[in-house]
Amino acid sequence: MAVRLTRRPLTLAEAERRLRARPGGAVVVFAGRVRRDRRRGSSVVALEYEVDRVPALARLRALERAARRRFGASELVLWHRLGRVRVGEVAVVVGATCPHRVEAFDAARYLIDELKTTVPIWKEERGRPVRRPPRRRARPGVRSAGSGRAP
Amino acid sequence: MPRSVRVRLFATARLAVGRAVLPWPVPEHGLRARELVAALEQAYPRLAPTLRGSRFLRNDRYLRDLDETLRPGDEFAVHPPYGGG
Repeated sequence: MAVRLTRRPLTLAEAERRLRARPGGAVVVFAGRVRRDRRRGSSVVALEYEVDRVPALARLRALERAARRRFGASELVLWHRLGRVRVGEVAVVVGATCPHRVEAFDAARYLIDELKTTVPIWKEERGRPVRRPPRRRARPGVRSAGSGRAP
Repeated sequence: MPRSVRVRLFATARLAVGRAVLPWPVPEHGLRARELVAALEQAYPRLAPTLRGSRFLRNDRYLRDLDETLRPGDEFAVHPPYGGG
């Protein structure tokens, strides 16, 4: 199916097979993977995706129709993982088969941008605390190296 | 027929309330979406900032404005800003 919300792993190979099965001189596939993020004192090990399924599927199908019309796409994929997705795994795949590269790139860009901002899907970080080495206390009267501002 | 709407909360809205679903009583004359949002803000002050940036749906359809009247048995969904991908 062009539109998919699933708890199962997504693969680029499967998306490519689907996109290459239809006529068109250009195939563009984009995959978004979960990346490690060490901000805010935690190490992300996974993202947990949540969806409001009925309006999400309706919106994905509307995006599919719009992309076929606007970019002349003969095939599309709009796939998103749900539930827990670990660092390194693919969370989202969009792709388009179009007559030429410009339309194919534009279609893929349109799909991922719209998906991120208009489809009711949310993510929450799952992580573990980062272990930091204990701070060394500076002895009175001794400035520790690297303290203070650079000149 | 229950005399309540089923409020469905997602993401930060769910975290602010601590529940994904809330039954909310509906008076005889019905309940405007605006009244429900105000009542939720009052009942759950931590939810207020999220409500200000959220979209609302009645029975899986986006509300055009908050003057729509909710009826018993309706579902009312609170959608904080989306974050897929």
